[in-house]
Amino acid sequence: MTVDLNLVGAKGAIAEAAEGKWGMTIDQDICTGCQACVAACAMENNLSFVGEEDAGYGRTQHWIRIERFWEGEYPEVKATPFQPMLCQQCGHAPCEPVCPVFATPHSPAEDLNLQVYNRCVGTRYCANNCPYQVRSFNWRDYHTIPERGNMVNGTLVFPLHNQLNPDVTVRRRGIMEKCTFCIQRIHKAQDQAKSEGREVEDGEFTTACAQACPATAITFGRMDHPESLVSQLAHQQRGVKHLEELNTLPRVTYLKEG
Amino acid sequence: MSQKISRRDFLKLATAGAATTAVLTGCGPASRYITREPYTKMPEYTYNGLSTYYATTCRECAAGCGLIVRTMQGRAIKVEGNAANPINLGKTCARGQATLQGLYNPDRVEFPVKQGRSSALVNTPMNWEDAFQVVADALNNTNISEIAFLMGTASDHLFDMVSDLTNAVGAPAPVRFGALSMFESRATLSKAAENLLGSAGLPFFDLANADVVVSFSSNFLETWLSPVAYTRGFSRMRRGNPKKRGYFIQFESQMSQTAAKADEWIPVLPGTEGLVALALGRLVAEAKGGSVPRAFSSVDVEEASAKSGVSLEQLEHVAGLIAEAQSPLTIPGGQALGQSNGLSTAEAVLALNALTDNLGKPGGVFISPLSPNEDAYHRPASAKEMSDFIARMKSGGIKALFIHGVNPVFELPKSLGFAEALANVPLVISFATFPDETALTSDYIFPDHHGLESWGYQRSATGAMQSVLSGSQPVVSPMYDTRATTDVLIEAARLAGGKLAEAMPFTDEVDFIQNKLASLVGHVDGSFIAPEINTFSSYFQQHGGWWTTAVASNAPSAADALSKGIEAEEAEFAGEGEFFFIPFVSPTLAEAGANKPWLQELPDPMTTVMWNSWVAMNPETAHHHGLDNDDVVKLVSEAGELEVAVYLYPAIHPDVLAMPFGQGHTAYGRFATAQLPQEEFLGLVPYGGPVGDAFKRGANPADVLGAHFNEAGDLAFAGMKVKIEKTGRKQYLSRLESRIGVYGEGFPEEP
Repeated sequence: MTVDLNLVGAKGAIAEAAEGKWGMTIDQDICTGCQACVAACAMENNLSFVGEEDAGYGRTQHWIRIERFWEGEYPEVKATPFQPMLCQQCGHAPCEPVCPVFATPHSPAEDLNLQVYNRCVGTRYCANNCPYQVRSFNWRDYHTIPERGNMVNGTLVFPLHNQLNPDVTVRRRGIMEKCTFCIQRIHKAQDQAKSEGREVEDGEFTTACAQACPATAITFGRMDHPESLVSQLAHQQRGVKHLEELNTLPRVTYLKEG
Repeated sequence: MSQKISRRDFLKLATAGAATTAVLTGCGPASRYITREPYTKMPEYTYNGLSTYYATTCRECAAGCGLIVRTMQGRAIKVEGNAANPINLGKTCARGQATLQGLYNPDRVEFPVKQGRSSALVNTPMNWEDAFQVVADALNNTNISEIAFLMGTASDHLFDMVSDLTNAVGAPAPVRFGALSMFESRATLSKAAENLLGSAGLPFFDLANADVVVSFSSNFLETWLSPVAYTRGFSRMRRGNPKKRGYFIQFESQMSQTAAKADEWIPVLPGTEGLVALALGRLVAEAKGGSVPRAFSSVDVEEASAKSGVSLEQLEHVAGLIAEAQSPLTIPGGQALGQSNGLSTAEAVLALNALTDNLGKPGGVFISPLSPNEDAYHRPASAKEMSDFIARMKSGGIKALFIHGVNPVFELPKSLGFAEALANVPLVISFATFPDETALTSDYIFPDHHGLESWGYQRSATGAMQSVLSGSQPVVSPMYDTRATTDVLIEAARLAGGKLAEAMPFTDEVDFIQNKLASLVGHVDGSFIAPEINTFSSYFQQHGGWWTTAVASNAPSAADALSKGIEAEEAEFAGEGEFFFIPFVSPTLAEAGANKPWLQELPDPMTTVMWNSWVAMNPETAHHHGLDNDDVVKLVSEAGELEVAVYLYPAIHPDVLAMPFGQGHTAYGRFATAQLPQEEFLGLVPYGGPVGDAFKRGANPADVLGAHFNEAGDLAFAGMKVKIEKTGRKQYLSRLESRIGVYGEGFPEEP
């Protein structure tokens, strides 16, 4: 769907575009901050760990991270509800127009923000322009750092590579990356449904983070289907979208406490 | 069974089998593994891009969560929860997710070695035939009463085999231990249940159906007992009932991850949790208008308020919430029980449940059911029992020690002296998968498979209302020249002959497991029904275990719960110093996660620190001592000392220092240790020191824990006092929340 957001009187269309195709809700009332989603995402999407030093410089490859802030002072101190932060798959994404090589375009088919790894030249403009700070850059060829392998008969062998998901690219140095809403799972489910001559059903598949979440705080599905679980959750009164005032049209709805 | 069956024959048989409801597995010992092929050479039954999924059981802790592992061409790609398993219902924790990083860890023990207690892993392989002979000789040539098996809490089929073996020859029963069960104070919980509820089992707290939950330092969202099951319970408590949102209050001296989810976190002085529970009991009884039961009659509410630091208004407020709730639930946690007065604290909290009449009712307390094929609840050894075990080692009462699935050199408090006691054991044989501290100090390492390469079963001690036996099967063929410890014992027993051979008449591990499952065949109230053992085994593999369909947990007896007077004794604190020292298990690393790099890189949920240890200190206290973030301090207790960086933590009692357990390894692979001495790292100051070929990463709070036990024999780990000494050095912690400091840009203003 193409919407000219500058068109006067396009409010209805904007509201429709705001829903997008795929969406997610995160219930902060039950998110326990346990990091299962972070680990699940890393395992599914071939994210590399970066080690203590690079982690200290903020170079971690977390496509999803859990934020908590402090309010007040002891003993009246409170930790704000755990807030998993990931690419919001904005309908009107600040990262998209700044890329000089069109490596982060908008998918018309899935209405998601794509990251085309083999186009990316590593300007990092997109990360700079992302108000949610959810993009991560490959500062090194992390997967092939020699210290992570073993020398076997004169060849460097990386046992950890056995785990790599063949459905997901392994990114090299100089490449920007971010959450894809597990696009490989979306495609797999769509292929399966197509081969069976039907539509993808709600709940048939989900993202790695939502699948792992022990508290069931994360729900993923079709936002353009009003009867889907994620649509119904997103339209609860508790639902808020982050930095909505920037008109980014985020596809992730956070459900507040209370 | 052992004859080779071609695939075509197998398909024919399987088709025929379907008609008679029996499924043939066609698996002899040799064909029990799937082979790992290069992607270019695919077995005929796989299609490009299609995965094969296997059900198995997570071994990262002993909870027994079911897993479905996605594999492609013999490689394990992704771990998901088994939606059918009643413990986790398709969910996993971070540690479960990262279990593949254990399987494909570059630092596994790849073949049997004669380790000879050297500081680095020996690199010359032994022959497995010789290894069997070593075990056989150890069993044969040692006086039966001087053989000892020390085992971890995971992998129950091996525990069963060793129990059978030791039973048959009259050797001492195997001892099980795990740091998690130590920090959970499991012995105290069971003892209190025995004293008050008439059953020594493990209580199960039905969070899901409670409407007001009051927890005493219980870290049930982190590592406590069965974290995935309790997280689900919490989620349902909060959001399961659309009309009523459950309310959660946590008493704890620091705001743990669990306390951060509480609607009210009420700081309490360590050791006074029992007093608070008794005061609440008295206030609730008064609010309900009845007479105060004997259990709570001795407490003076004002005194309790003064000692615990919880104001009278707060106590009355919480008591009011409990009194008005439909199904209130109170939970005693490991920290509250890991005190000299832990047993009376546990009793006080259980009595509070009895007072609100929730025993055996939805939203209340149950006794966890025994697993299928379990005769009695086998509690892991308490620290006191481990201390007795160590005394036996020291006195020369143990001549041959077999260790599997546990790393006592790292996990036990240093003051218990396990490492020194090992020197008095002439023969130590380890079955470790990873070169951990204990394995390196062994004479031999005969590595077991990783959990995902193994057969087996795990009993779920708690977590569901059903009785659950989770099944394991290899999802990949073994990466290295490792052997299942059960197979090693079967082979060694055969070589040893005599009674040992008679006790182990099995062809292999799977034969043994089928023998143990035989009693479940024909049960009609289970998750599946099978007419004979081969069919049962196939279904057991396919479903990832067997569990009852009906509720099997027991309602505790409330008869004596309130009639016993409970005295809130004053907690005793060992050592001198101005700070209470509270170690807690790292929610992301737990006891054995430090060698998995992605677990290291998960930020701690509260401090967001990665890859290292810290000590949490109240900012006011730190300011008073002239300390700031990342200042290295020396913690000195009566039992030892350690150095660790300070983290200014706004939500901790000013007199309390809290420190995570999980780091501080001197072995256990490249990710658990550091490859560089810390002075080269970040160009900063030394921290820890060189140990063997590796450098220590972080610090282990077990180094400063003294050998003090409560009445139930659990370690009084939260009953220590420590003092701090400044070192004048800095150790910049890598954290997600702030990069300032690492760039040397000065420090942020206090939070």
